[in-house]
Amino acid sequence: MRRRLGLLTVILAATLAVPAGAQEKPRYGGELIFAVPSEPPSYDAHREETFGVIHPLAPHYNTLLRPDPADKTATRIVGDLAESWTISKDGRTYTLKLRRGVKFHDGSEMTSKDVKASYDKIIFPPAGVASDRKGEYLDVEAVQAPDPYTVVFRLKWTSGSFLMSLASPWNWIYKADILAKDMRWYETNVMGTGPFVFVEHVKGSHWVGKRNPNYWDKGKPYLDGYRAIFIRDSAAQVSAVRGERAHIQFRGFSPAERDNLVAALGSKIAVQESPWDCALLVAMNHEKKPFDDKRVRRALTLALDRYQGSQALSKIAIVKEVAGVQVPGTPFATPPAELEKLVGYWRDINKSRAEARRLLKEAGVADGFAFTFKNRGIPMPYEPVGIWLIDQWRQIGLNVKQEVIEAAKYYAELRGGNFEAAMDFQCGYIVEPDLDLYKFQSKDKSPANYSRYTDRVLDELYEKQSRAVDADERRKAIREFERRLVDEEAHYLYTLQWHRIIPHNARVRGWTVSPSHYLNQQLDTVWLAE
Amino acid sequence: MGKYIVKRLVLMIPTLLGVAVLIFFLMRVVPGDLVELRFAGESAFAQKENLDTERARLGLDQPLWKQFLVWIAGVVRLDFGKSMWTGAPIIEEIKLRFALSLQLAIMATIIAVLLAIPLGVLAALKQDTWVDYTVRIVSIAGLATPSFWLGIVFILGLLIVFKWLPPMVYTPFWVNPWQNMLQLIWPALAVGYRYSAVATRMTRSAMLEVLREDYIRTARAKGLWEQLILSRHALKNAMLPVLTVIALEFAFLMGGLVVTEQVFNLNGLGLLFVEAVAHRDYTLTQALVMLVAFVFIFVNFLVDLAYAWLDPRIRFR
Repeated sequence: MRRRLGLLTVILAATLAVPAGAQEKPRYGGELIFAVPSEPPSYDAHREETFGVIHPLAPHYNTLLRPDPADKTATRIVGDLAESWTISKDGRTYTLKLRRGVKFHDGSEMTSKDVKASYDKIIFPPAGVASDRKGEYLDVEAVQAPDPYTVVFRLKWTSGSFLMSLASPWNWIYKADILAKDMRWYETNVMGTGPFVFVEHVKGSHWVGKRNPNYWDKGKPYLDGYRAIFIRDSAAQVSAVRGERAHIQFRGFSPAERDNLVAALGSKIAVQESPWDCALLVAMNHEKKPFDDKRVRRALTLALDRYQGSQALSKIAIVKEVAGVQVPGTPFATPPAELEKLVGYWRDINKSRAEARRLLKEAGVADGFAFTFKNRGIPMPYEPVGIWLIDQWRQIGLNVKQEVIEAAKYYAELRGGNFEAAMDFQCGYIVEPDLDLYKFQSKDKSPANYSRYTDRVLDELYEKQSRAVDADERRKAIREFERRLVDEEAHYLYTLQWHRIIPHNARVRGWTVSPSHYLNQQLDTVWLAE
Repeated sequence: MGKYIVKRLVLMIPTLLGVAVLIFFLMRVVPGDLVELRFAGESAFAQKENLDTERARLGLDQPLWKQFLVWIAGVVRLDFGKSMWTGAPIIEEIKLRFALSLQLAIMATIIAVLLAIPLGVLAALKQDTWVDYTVRIVSIAGLATPSFWLGIVFILGLLIVFKWLPPMVYTPFWVNPWQNMLQLIWPALAVGYRYSAVATRMTRSAMLEVLREDYIRTARAKGLWEQLILSRHALKNAMLPVLTVIALEFAFLMGGLVVTEQVFNLNGLGLLFVEAVAHRDYTLTQALVMLVAFVFIFVNFLVDLAYAWLDPRIRFR
């Protein structure tokens, strides 16, 4: 008991130590070494999906806007290559003024021509060029460059999310002349305007960047360079931080790994934590009986004691917060008091489970009804949450068998509808309702709607929130969407929000954890203390 | 002997062809799809049109027989193409990892041979004495201990006792031998110990068998010097099965050290193999299987040559 209390005190001290560091005067020099659990398939962020591209490569690039690197919620937007912006009265024209004197690493000047070429590649890619995020910009009619330092985005309709989408960590600005010659050049080469210049990539081993002496943000970056080491195994990542072979791993560690590092390194380690813009969901196949019956789906969500689950699971897995469709603590998140009114979120679990049993009986589902739950073959956090779900469902008389499926086959199973209930997830690279809710539209609109339903009311609510420019109006639409999705129709079941835990060498300063492991990776504000 | 070598070399071709056919079609039978995994995996926005474009670019929309012919035509020219996952030439993907895996395999083999042969011979000569029992305990412990577990023990031991961890990035031997050794000696020891256990057991039993042969008794009866009997008559003949075990283990090390590579964060062929399969990177997986198959066949070929050298009856047959 005393040992646990001691460890808790050390973790608390390590967690509280960080904001104090943020007040200090940055120190120049040093090489930041960080572990990356994945590796970039190609170097082109416009076409890739993995953080394995962002972590080693983002320091070479800039985006138009970005979430404020000091904002823990990552919802406050600041300029990156754009220094200011205006929105027309009808909400359909966004005009951005670019910084002057920004140079690419080859010495050429960055202008609106480059921004236009980059966004054209993302939004209107030519035949044969894949842009993974094209679908996110259906509202864009045209991108224009009226003068070298102005970019204009004309929209087909108003959008509540457009500004945030210009802060996407994937939308690196490439050089127009290079794209004009070869649209695929950036898949195998690096050349941006970012704070660090590319040095080398040894496949499967490491990535190195050095300080850009001509960086437009004078005085930055603070580091001489950085080295990203590709380490797939989490135990090896922990050893790397513990043995001071790496200062940090930006994706996250489990609670046990955090405790291990804190116990071993004490004051040499600092811990930052945040709710993560990732949630584990249960997709219930509406094309299979009895999951076509909303009483059964509601019973499945009513069976879950999320509050107790949060307490227990957060000690062993990277899940913690009880949440709705938005990351807790962010502008559009449902406050806890309101959340508790939704089915499955009631505080009284006995009342919930009694109602669940009643609904199952009413739907004609016999006690001991058996079904198979398909889970993704990735241990953390899928395995502990899967086991927890089965136990929770057992408590309302359901007999559930878990089938664990290897990652590549998992998508085929989900897309093919070859399941009754399955673990699913929603991870966003930026906290923005359009991104977080897109998945839940009807199956003909969203290929990732694995519950396979058609709900035009939900589609309308999605569109309503997406086009709302007024924050309150948007918030209201999001609440309605949430209520319909998880309560009235119970199309999907939210389990728990992921929880991001970053224990890092206490020398690392100027970096703030956010709800997304895709954000805050430019490293321009990061420095190493003595 | 020359005719024997040519015959063995020619026999490699149908074996490799069989491996090629098998791996090509086996990979296509495994469920899952590289394009879906890479572009639709975590994105709710993946458009079917996008996925189709990628499939067409990778040639995955072509009939299987056509894909096979294109690939096998490349293999014949020793052009394995590009990795479907990274787009980089396969030769580039394999080159660095091959050097590391080869060095690790050689180091582990040296450690294993240096331990196994003296210990195995000693145990056989001192059969049922405390020496033999000690060697047996050490070797059985080696067989029972997975090398990755021993690797974890090494890492934790170094971290806890010396507060030091081996380098996590590979430095080629010719660039910095010291750094290279600092990184590779630990996995080589972990793997070499288990490897030596197998070889020690084999050396001991082979020696015991040979020492009971008539020709050894005859040599002793003739009053031949014991050292000469052991080295020239007993050990040379006992080496035949030991050589097979060492060679097969060596070939296995070239692609089979997945967990050990993970524990020490080694950028070797084993991890590349696992990632290629997990990503459904057909071209890379096929190339790796062909490489490992070639290593196995080539090592077996060398063993056969060694057999012929050690045992004249084989080359005269």
